Amino acid sequence: MTTAQPDVSKWPFQSVLVANRGEIAVRVLRTVQKLGLKGIVVYHAADRGTAAVKMADQAIEITGPTPVASYLDGAQIIAAAQASGAGAIHPGYGFLSENKGFCAAVEAAGIRFIGPTPEQIDLMGDKVRARNFVEKAGFPVAPSAIEDDDPKTFVERSRKVGAPLLIKPSAGGGGKGMRIVRDLALLEQEIERGRSEGQRYFGDGRLYCERYIENPRHIEVQVLGDGQGSVVHAFERECSVQRRFQKIVEETPSPALDAALREKICETAAGIARSLNYRNAGTVEFIFGQGGEFYFLEMNTRLQVEHPVTEEITGIDLVLQQLRVAAGEKLGYGQADVKSSGHSIEFRIYAEDAARGYTPTTGPILVLHPPQGEGVRWDSGVLQGGEVTSAFDPMIAKLIIRGSDRNDAIARADKALRETVLLGCKTNTAFLRRLLQHPAFVAGDVHTGFLDANPQIAAEPEMPAETLQALLGAAALSTRPMRDVADAVPDMHAAMGGWRN
Amino acid sequence: MHHAFKLGDAEHNLELSRSASAYRLHLGEQVVDVDLKTGADGRAWLTLGERHIEVVIATRGDDVFVHLDGEAYQLRYQHPLDRLAAQAGGSAEDHIRAPMPGSIVSVTVKAGDAVAKGQTLLVMESMKMETTIAAPRDGTVAAVTYEKGQTFDRDALLLSLEPMEKKS
Repeated sequence: MTTAQPDVSKWPFQSVLVANRGEIAVRVLRTVQKLGLKGIVVYHAADRGTAAVKMADQAIEITGPTPVASYLDGAQIIAAAQASGAGAIHPGYGFLSENKGFCAAVEAAGIRFIGPTPEQIDLMGDKVRARNFVEKAGFPVAPSAIEDDDPKTFVERSRKVGAPLLIKPSAGGGGKGMRIVRDLALLEQEIERGRSEGQRYFGDGRLYCERYIENPRHIEVQVLGDGQGSVVHAFERECSVQRRFQKIVEETPSPALDAALREKICETAAGIARSLNYRNAGTVEFIFGQGGEFYFLEMNTRLQVEHPVTEEITGIDLVLQQLRVAAGEKLGYGQADVKSSGHSIEFRIYAEDAARGYTPTTGPILVLHPPQGEGVRWDSGVLQGGEVTSAFDPMIAKLIIRGSDRNDAIARADKALRETVLLGCKTNTAFLRRLLQHPAFVAGDVHTGFLDANPQIAAEPEMPAETLQALLGAAALSTRPMRDVADAVPDMHAAMGGWRN
Repeated sequence: MHHAFKLGDAEHNLELSRSASAYRLHLGEQVVDVDLKTGADGRAWLTLGERHIEVVIATRGDDVFVHLDGEAYQLRYQHPLDRLAAQAGGSAEDHIRAPMPGSIVSVTVKAGDAVAKGQTLLVMESMKMETTIAAPRDGTVAAVTYEKGQTFDRDALLLSLEPMEKKS
């Protein structure tokens, strides 16, 4: 679907401040500037040389006790917006994007928040309240027990949910503090551990338990709402390939769905958003069992990291839709107008060492040649000459591939990953190639525990002797002291051959 | 001369000599003709025996980064003098290095302290997880490199112990 370029002269804002960094700041600025609006970013000194700062029409430095803390300092960011005359703030993802207090403070300062209402953030930000809301609205949620309902009977009610079950902190996210219980004899002990982890990570020891789906898939649905009665979905994304509960590869369409199931899950998501009168782009996440059953997991009230695959198959610019809705426009189209074609896969390029437990790596970006070609999109916030530090998340870029079908997309992805040259800091590109060549991935038969169950994909494969020779040859010829020693021996001597030290 | 590169955890000994037209790489008993021609855009052609392979190479200090056949590798040149020094005195256990990049949560010892094997030396944080670094052996703390709150990269020297006295 291609929508006409809106007439921004009628919009209540003519400049947008991006309260974020890295690739997502670049992504948002691209649409903002394409519309002819002024794009402003805030940045910490650690990000001075990054793509977003260079690209922005105006960049304002912010400070804090740590680089991350500066991007979480809502008051300072609102002050920067006011100083620069920004009419709207786009929060990106992470940081302040789902912070009700920030959203409310932005609007109280007379600035448009490019996102949902504070009430919608608040409701969906509390997993327990969100789940109850969705259940009451008549949509499927996994069988569960919530401690807050009646703390005295929590253990007993958890036992009734049955094994296997999953204990989660109520205030949690990102997989922190989650525990799987397969043997109910260990239930009380695991609840105590989950409580102490929840207390430690989130300062909140409240828990809930839910039925654990074995080998589940993670399928989510992109929704768009204008807060004025219109909601559409823009199909699903499958994000089952994860490490440490974090997504690595996302694609659409999901290989797990047929047309009937696709319509069911997408309509369920749209129904949930409709019952909220949702405003903004959002994502409804589901846990999807091997038998085709699915349950509401959570709703993210922001732009998602993996939004580009949806853009690639639908032709919708999701940031543009966020801006239009924030400006007060109606969606202006219905579900039948949202069409998809082809297949798209996103690969998260992480500065990390897969073979060492996916631990983050750091280093200078001495050479960066992004891949190019038909169906290849490179969303990145780093530039050659930049540096990857441990100050921020290790995701440095996203490679988004579009193909006529899934096999075509996989073939293009393998070529693009091969051609991605990034020297100075170890990344996961070689690991991603091993992953996409795995028969289970090729067959579309993966689940969220797939990488844990197949640790050989992360392991460094044995190096062929020829590769080692080539590397040592290249390294020796690139090292001054070795060349100097070699050059010091007269050619004639060397030409006679057989020289050894 | 003793030249070597470290690749991953392995150390590879090698020598380089001139040939009539270019160079020869000596790996143990193997001798291979090698040459390297670099273009303006950083792409280069490596000659290895009869093969010509496109590579991209970048260097920084003693590190050589090579993009070869779709993958990136890092090799570190080992200075002959450093290697000699490493062989002469001290063991890996004397130098406690960071297993991953992170920051210091707390340091519980200072230079001169006697420590017992297994005793907590410091606590670091990486990826929102805390990791305790314990003494690998009994000994005396020689130096502590970082203070609470400071950040470091992987393999950074966090703390060193006095070398063990040689038993005579």
